[in-house]
Amino acid sequence: MSLFGFGKAQPTSAERISAVENELKVVAEMHTRMVKICTLKCVDKTYREGELSKGEAVCLDRCSAKFFEAHQKISDHLQQQSQQQGGGFGMGA
Amino acid sequence: MDPTTGLTQAESRELENRLNKRQVKEFMNLFGNLVDNCFTSCVDDFTSKALSGRETGCISRCVLKSMATQTRLSERFAELNASMSAELQNKGR
Repeated sequence: MSLFGFGKAQPTSAERISAVENELKVVAEMHTRMVKICTLKCVDKTYREGELSKGEAVCLDRCSAKFFEAHQKISDHLQQQSQQQGGGFGMGA
Repeated sequence: MDPTTGLTQAESRELENRLNKRQVKEFMNLFGNLVDNCFTSCVDDFTSKALSGRETGCISRCVLKSMATQTRLSERFAELNASMSAELQNKGR
């Protein structure tokens, strides 16, 4: 992996496994949150029907797309902020 | 990109082991949440200790609908996640 350059010590086996595991965990957590939130926002809880209505299905599609977009936007904002302030998530100094 | 690239075979096996354990836990979580949600949405009359026909029907519709929701959102999630990682890679990393 050229990513780690030559100067740094090679990560140990355990560290490499944890790194990949964490990456997957972040994605899994995002998935769980998205399902929870979009279900809450889109799905009628009276359960008169066992299937998703057309409207609910479309709402879920849009909700997931928007969730990702918001995720992206917020991560961009935080990155910008932390670059301006030289690290940390500090709110206006 | 597949984040597991860069792991040796032994490391991949260890990772798989851990992910399997997590999957069991996640399934139990999912099951628990399903019971909580459907019970909360469908059962609110405690004049009898048996589930009424209406409640039973509501619960099975709730399970069907929740699974449909889960499936649909997981499909969208996979698509969005793939396009997001592709975008990240295009930005050059």
